Formats: sequence, structure tokens, C-alpha cells
Amino acid sequence: MHISEGILHGPTLAAGFVGAGLIAAATMRNMDMEEIPKISVITSVFFVASLIKVPIGPSSVHLILNGLAAVVLGWRAFPAILLAIILQAIIFGHGGVTVIGVNAVMLGGGALVAYMVWQQRHRFPNMKRREFVFGALAGATATISSGIVLALALVTTGEAFAGVALAVLAAHIPIMLIEGAVVGACADFLQRVKPEVLAGQSTRADRG
Amino acid sequence: MALDIDRYAHLGSPIQRWDPRFKIAALLLLILAIALLKTLPMAAAALTVAIVILLIAALPMHFVWHGMTFILVFLIPFFIVMPLTYPGEAAFRVLGLPFALEGLRLAALIFMKALSIVMISFAMFGSSRFDVSMLALQHLKCPRVLVQMLLFTYRYTFVFLDEMERMYTSMQARGFIARTDRRTLRVIGHFVGTLLVHSFERTERIYKAMLSKGYQGELHSMVRFHSHTSDFIKAAVVLVLALALAIADMSGHFSLAEQAWF
Amino acid sequence: MSKRIIIDVDNVCFSYPDGHEVLKGLSCRIEEGEKVALIGPNGAGKSTFMSHLNGVQLPVSGRIAVDGIEVRKDTLKQIRRKVGIVFQDPDDQLFCPTVFDDVAFGPLNLGLPPEEIEARVREALAVVGLQGFEARSSFHLSFGERKRLALATVLSYQPEILVFDEPSTNMDPLNRRNLISWLKETDRTVLLCTHDLDIALEVCDRCLLLVDGKIAADGPAGDILYNRKLLESNKLELPLALMTHELLHNILHHQDMEEGERLIIGRFLHAHRHAHGPDSDHHVHVHTHDLDHAHLHEEVDDAHFKEIRDKEQRELKGE
Repeated sequence: MHISEGILHGPTLAAGFVGAGLIAAATMRNMDMEEIPKISVITSVFFVASLIKVPIGPSSVHLILNGLAAVVLGWRAFPAILLAIILQAIIFGHGGVTVIGVNAVMLGGGALVAYMVWQQRHRFPNMKRREFVFGALAGATATISSGIVLALALVTTGEAFAGVALAVLAAHIPIMLIEGAVVGACADFLQRVKPEVLAGQSTRADRG
Repeated sequence: MALDIDRYAHLGSPIQRWDPRFKIAALLLLILAIALLKTLPMAAAALTVAIVILLIAALPMHFVWHGMTFILVFLIPFFIVMPLTYPGEAAFRVLGLPFALEGLRLAALIFMKALSIVMISFAMFGSSRFDVSMLALQHLKCPRVLVQMLLFTYRYTFVFLDEMERMYTSMQARGFIARTDRRTLRVIGHFVGTLLVHSFERTERIYKAMLSKGYQGELHSMVRFHSHTSDFIKAAVVLVLALALAIADMSGHFSLAEQAWF
Repeated sequence: MSKRIIIDVDNVCFSYPDGHEVLKGLSCRIEEGEKVALIGPNGAGKSTFMSHLNGVQLPVSGRIAVDGIEVRKDTLKQIRRKVGIVFQDPDDQLFCPTVFDDVAFGPLNLGLPPEEIEARVREALAVVGLQGFEARSSFHLSFGERKRLALATVLSYQPEILVFDEPSTNMDPLNRRNLISWLKETDRTVLLCTHDLDIALEVCDRCLLLVDGKIAADGPAGDILYNRKLLESNKLELPLALMTHELLHNILHHQDMEEGERLIIGRFLHAHRHAHGPDSDHHVHVHTHDLDHAHLHEEVDDAHFKEIRDKEQRELKGE
């Protein structure tokens, strides 16, 4: 899910770069030396995993997994997504160079919202299959938030895109369900197999 | 899946021999100018410029075509969606839906702009080794941390792509077929989770290996850039083209692709 | 009586879209129940050949048939039921939260009823000695356990043909030994793709040497794996067991030594022959030869041998 080159007008593109720069600066604060290779290597996983196609009837969609990035990397999901978007722009050219900012705000912003949702799980210490439920919620929220940002970017560019924006939002509903199911299953899996991989793992009080 | 954008960086065409710093700076400005175009004739001119640059770069056709398929698949639906959803007067009706010519013109504008930008960016990054392009970006004041992370991510992308393909093969070998059902989504969730666990274990090993070789948060490179007069001349030509496109576009000699643009 | 041909590979060529040719007219036939070693230097096309056997890659020209069914896009489902591939790195095939889920993955893909799935999982885990591991996570198992679990995930799928990619790498001696005994006992068709020529020598009755995309030699494992010239001209070397054998043989012939030392070496060569099975003519030949020179009979006197060993140990302890 990307916005392509050639659609948005100057102010929206500029706003995208400014927004992405500010959020990146905020979410990369206090990053230590060890995190540089760590975040980069994990970003490669997200990058290749987003090449996985899920069939929907006769057609198929690629996974987005920005919600999963939030579940694994927390606030650092934003720089990871920024990296992935830059690489995609360089390698594939879909979602090109001038829309890097807008795409980062869209997908990375969705991840930040998803992380807030994911952190709410600590309020339910005794819930059954909690990581599945909150992982699924995080995956779904990330997708739909990104869809809303995308629709807004389209609408601010011109009235002519209002129809496209609506179509885009509608197309996000099945994607939301798919992302929710995949991120939920993945979070549940990580909780069972290697919980230290999950972001925002809590303190003793919660573990007990 | 072809991820190695720099596979043909060694070909030695004038674009490949161009100092990457000048090349990236000049072509990025050209891309910016194209992204802001609003008239059809200038978009067509931009597409011509992009094709010429791509031809000079002398990248093999199959490689270029492969790189363009993504964007083409994305753009073609615009020719149907835009005319049907365009607000206001419709020229005629198709299957009971209003079909607006203005929408068609807008789709054509988007198509040409996007295609030219992708072509130029392909020529730009396809003509130098990836690490050299990244170092050039660093010279152009792109944050060091970002450049370092891009180099790492690119490097490990190939490792995990291989791993993912081997895992997927082993699943197929045991009869797995992806369907539209909950089990498929759960299996994919576990699959991605496994990749993540492996990558966490791997990044710990990588970091230890880096520390043992004296890593202190910076990557150093032996690549040195050299610029000649020809590099300046090439950059100047591209900048003049970019400026010409922008000025002609804003001059008012051409009608906007869409009147209600703002 | 000739048996059913279960794998029929006829003049298969494969090249990548960039023009790089990997398989250049490869042909071979494997009978049901045969145990075949596939050896060859790096880059000879072993992995590519293996991924052709269950249609992960399809030939550019030529034809592959498994149990009479040609490998094509529309037959992949049937083919994959027949051919199970055990990959070199167990981590490539384990990705479920529990051991049970991993082993049940294949049967689930077959759409079997739950009782049958459970039975198959139990059976497969028993074969590899991982009973009671069902609820554990594969991520917390040792490498040897993961390697065995990977085998179980393929066994539960009950393929008729088992293809192994380097089954013994990174295995400790005990696990390797267990794997060898299992491979010797199973009555399935086995294709063993390996650089470990010792395991090939022990397990397989036939050997295919793959060089530069073609079968360079095909014959009894004994013949090919004993052919130093053939192996070395193809960047391979004699199995370690045979090299040791040769070395000891030379020592027996050319060095002066005491009767006791001769006995020990003779005993070793004798034991070696037992380990590799007395069926191979070549083995018998080599051994009888050695034993003559060591002044030993086929039946070595165990008591005599023990006496020498005990004496040795006493000397070691400085008594």
C-alpha cells in the first residue's frame, strides 16, 4: 500500500517530508549504538515479509505489516518503516522518491497509533490469548490509520480525488482484516516462543 | 525476485561514469521539477527526457522492464477510476456511469509524471553500486545514521529473502497452498514470527562480530569521489532541463490538465 | 526381478532466466526401495536437481516422472505427496509454536481427520526419538533435536520417496550414528544428497556423481566411492573411512611393528568391515588381503585381543 509518484501536489509532498523528518527525529531519540544494526536487520525482515502475497479470491495483496513493526519495535517502528520505504523507492520505484515523506507519515504514523493500542494490553493482565487480541487490534488499527492518512493526502491534493479516496478507504477493509489476523497470530506466536522480541514487554507485576 | 538494483552498475555508460554526488543531486532536482508539473505537454516532455536518460544509462531492456512492471500495474487502473469518479460534468456515460474527459486527462498526467520519475530514479540508482550511491547521499548531507542503516538493511535483505524462499519451499514440499482462509493467515503469521526470531538471534551475533572488529557506531569506506569538468557539465544540462520544464509549465502557455486543481 | 521405476529423469535441462545453465541434459532412473547417494562438487547442480524432484523448479526441457506421474504445474499436488524433502538447515522447516504443530503441518495440508493426524505425529516423533516433546517449542531445542524434528515433519507426511539434503552436517557422532541406522533400516526410497561420502558409503547401494549439470558416473556405491581417480578429478576425495583404511593398509605392509600392534590394526580393519557390511565384494577383497598380511584369521580371537588391550592399559597407567 503506497501512494505513487505523480499524484500529490507540492504542498502535500513538502508536508510529508517535514512531518516524516520531525517524527523520525522524535522517535530516534536516545538511540544507542547497538540499536543501529539491530533495527536495520529487523527492517530487512519486514522488507522481505512485505513481499509475501496473500490470496483474496482470484487476486492477491501484499502484506503491509506496519502494525507488526509497532508490536516488535515500539516507537522505533517509525525509523524502521522509513528505511523500508526509502529502499522500496530505490529498488522498486513504486512509491517513488518524492513521496517518501508522505508514505513514511502514512505507514509509520499508522504504526505509532498501533503501538498505543498494543500497549493497552497491560490493562488486562489476566486476559486469555491477550497477545493475539491486541496484536490483531494493532494490525488492524495500523492499516486503517494509514488508510485514513492516505485518503486525507488525496483529498488535500484536489477535490478530483475524493472518489479515489473513498475507494481507497473501502479497499482497506479487507486488508485490515488480513493484517489483523496475521499480526495477531504472529504476536501470539512470539509471546509463546520468544517473548523478549515483543516491544513494551512489561515489568514483573505484569508477568506474575 | 530481483532486488539487486545495482546489478548493471559496471556498464560504463556516461551516466555510470558520472560522479554519483553530482548525478544524484542533479537528477533529484529534475525529479522534483517533474513531480510539480501540472500540464500535459510538459509531462510528455518530461517523459521524453526520462526515456533519453534511461537510454544513455544503457541498462538492459529486460531489467528496466522488470523494474517498471510494479508502477505500471499500479497506474493503469487510474485510467478507469479517474474518469468515473471525477466530480462535475460528464462527457458521456459508460454502463450508466458518468465518464469525464477531465478525469482521463488527469490520469494521463499522473501516468506520465509517475513513469518519468520512476525511470529517472531507476537510471540514477541502477548506475552506481548501492553502497556508492548511499555514500554519495551522505556527502549530500543525508544523515549518517540513516545511510548506515540503509546499508545494513539492504545487505540483510538478501539474506532473509533467501531464508524466506527456503522456508516457503519447505512448506510447499509438505503440501502447503495459500488460500483465502484463517489457517493460511495463521500460518503466515507464524512464518513471519519465525523469520523475526531468527533475525533477532542473528542481529545479536552480527553485533558481537562487529564489536570484535572495532565497531564504534560508524561505518568507514574506502570509496573516494572524484569530480571532473564533465560531471559539472552533465549536472548543468540536467538542471537547465529541469528549469525549462518548470518555467514552461508555469508560463500559462499550456492549459492545466485539470482546471479545479487547487 | 526388476522393480518398479519410481523416479525417471529424462534429459532434463534447466537454466535460469539470465541464461546461466545448471542442468545440462541430466538422465537417471531410480527404482523403488533403492538408496541412492547423489554426490558432486559445489555448484554441480545438486540442489537444483533436488528442487526439480518435487516441482519447486520445473525443467526448461526434458521430463521428470515420479511413480509414473510427470512433474508439471498441474500435477504438483500429487508429486509433493510422494516426494518429501528434508532440508539441510532444520530452521528452514520449523516455524510453528509447538513441536506438535510443526509435525502436524504436513498432515493438516492433506486435510486428514484429527485422530489420524495425532497418530501420525506420534509415530513420526517416535521414529526420531522425540516422544513427549509435543508441547515444547522447536526454538528451545538443541540443534541435534531440531535436525531430528525436521525429519519428523517430513515423515508425518508419509512420502514414498525421501530426499535428504546434507542430513549429517553439524550433527554430533551419536545423532549421526542414529540417523545412519535409521536410514539403513527404512524400506522407503532414499536419495541422499551429500558431501559426507562416509554416510553415503554406509547407507547407499548406488551412487550418482553429478558434475556440471550431468551425471558423470552412475554405479554401485562401492565402485564409485572407491574410485580415487574419479573422485579427485571431480574435486572430491575418498571417504574418510577408506582413507584411514588405505593408510592402515600401507602401515601393515611397509612398517616394522610388533605382533600386538599388527593385531590392533587388523582388528580395526575387521571392525570397519563389519560396520560397512560384508556384502560389498570390494570390502571383502580388501579385508581378506589385509588380514592375510596381519597373520589373522577371519575370526579374531576376542580373548587374545582383550589381553593385548588390557596390557596396553596397564602400561598406560604406569603399572
